[in-house]
Amino acid sequence: MFITFALITLLGALGMLLQKNVIVAGLCMVAAFFGVAGLFVLLANPVAAALQIIVYTGAIMVLVLFVIMMLNSHEEEKAQTPRPVQRWLSLALVAALAFGAVKLVMASAGLKALAVSGAAVPRAMTLQKVGTTLFADHLLGFEVAGLLLLAAMIGAVALTKRDL
Amino acid sequence: MDMLASLLHTTPAIAWMALKVVIVFGGVMSLAAVWTWVERRGSAMIQDRIGPNRARLFGRWPILGLAQIAADGIKMFFKEDLVTTDANRRLFWLAPILAFVPALMGFAVIPFGKSFVSGGQTYHLALLDPGNGMGMLYPLAIGGMAVYGVLVAAWSSNNKWSILGGMRASAAMVSYEIGLSLAVISIFMTTGGYDPAEIIASQSHLPWKWNVVPQLPGFIVFFTCMFAETNRLPFDFAEGESEIVAGFNTEFGSMKFSLLALAEYSHLMTASALIATLYFGGWQVPFVKDPPVLLSVASFVLKLVFFAWVFVWIRWTLPRFRYDQLMHLGWKVMLPLSMANLVFHAWRMSQGH
Repeated sequence: MFITFALITLLGALGMLLQKNVIVAGLCMVAAFFGVAGLFVLLANPVAAALQIIVYTGAIMVLVLFVIMMLNSHEEEKAQTPRPVQRWLSLALVAALAFGAVKLVMASAGLKALAVSGAAVPRAMTLQKVGTTLFADHLLGFEVAGLLLLAAMIGAVALTKRDL
Repeated sequence: MDMLASLLHTTPAIAWMALKVVIVFGGVMSLAAVWTWVERRGSAMIQDRIGPNRARLFGRWPILGLAQIAADGIKMFFKEDLVTTDANRRLFWLAPILAFVPALMGFAVIPFGKSFVSGGQTYHLALLDPGNGMGMLYPLAIGGMAVYGVLVAAWSSNNKWSILGGMRASAAMVSYEIGLSLAVISIFMTTGGYDPAEIIASQSHLPWKWNVVPQLPGFIVFFTCMFAETNRLPFDFAEGESEIVAGFNTEFGSMKFSLLALAEYSHLMTASALIATLYFGGWQVPFVKDPPVLLSVASFVLKLVFFAWVFVWIRWTLPRFRYDQLMHLGWKVMLPLSMANLVFHAWRMSQGH
């Protein structure tokens, strides 16, 4: 199961990068997010999986709509000059990021707990648990995110409405 | 069940799962097929016509024209599979599947009858057992996926009218999904759980305790949003033949069109099942405290068929909305209504504790 979902995720991400057609790339992105949702289910966190799909399907759809509405051609435009330096620089940056992420995961307490034999199997995440964690442990972060989104929403309305 | 399992050399659990898959998907698909006939006969009844009554089974039995379904199926299956020259071939081929699969998958979490115990094992009448952690979030997530079928079908046919239809459908979906989610959230709140089994259990067998009574505004929002989600009239802006030909499915023929149409009807069945589960007690039988399993299944199917009929009924009774009316209704009526519903129930709960 893990291999299936991991393959869906990786192939989707690769397809998104390599596909010249912007809309097909968007659909590949959906496939990648779907694979990640499957991985969340395998990690006993079905709530995250469901929210992942609910949030990103809408988001990607809006993105695809923007492409249809704003761009006339659906093909990727060629760069005017080749950019070898940026290419290698980005590759190095991504490699460094991936290395750091893997190192962090390997050093995390959760992974060490897995090695202990006979440890209690963690219970599946529920929506109730997500709610209590958000409002008890991460209240500040939650409120800040809410404020940020509100500001973005008001900004969008102010930009599009000519006369308020 | 044990006998069947030993015949197939599997455990009862796996045999039961396979049986459930066949029952649920077979049932929903055949209901969807029957509904293509119900729609035509129903519209004929409402408009004082006769409707399709000529097709006969083996040329002999005219059972109310029901053989029309088989005739349509055979016709669609043997038609030439045309693809327009400028279409994006891969996506054109993929689109009907993208529309059909989510429409069926949404049903998986809905309990269609009471769980029962046999031979020391509990059998749940839902594809995903209660306590799977996804609960009612699952049909919301899968329902959101359904719009990709319409959008991909529209874009891949490379046709102005198709794209217009697809864009209108996706804009409608995005705007109605918020009101829909808020209506469902207030049910989560009053139930204290989000698993369909918990939601049904909390509604009990007394019809005035069903969610539709305390949450009437929520029900109105949910019901309206379901029309927008399934792209049915009065909100069928993906098609709208007086404006944009047949909208997103203009270029589709043969089995591809058939799949798109079946997807719409399967979606309708899932929507009716969701309405029955969330607001009308699911498999609960009115005034019967502990119903037998078969009675509970019959009760659920009856509710489902009733709401599926309401979808047909409304389609042939109300005229189509104008597009700006749809947006106005979605953002300025439905969203505030479901927010007010949410805040009201939150206030009531805070007073109660």
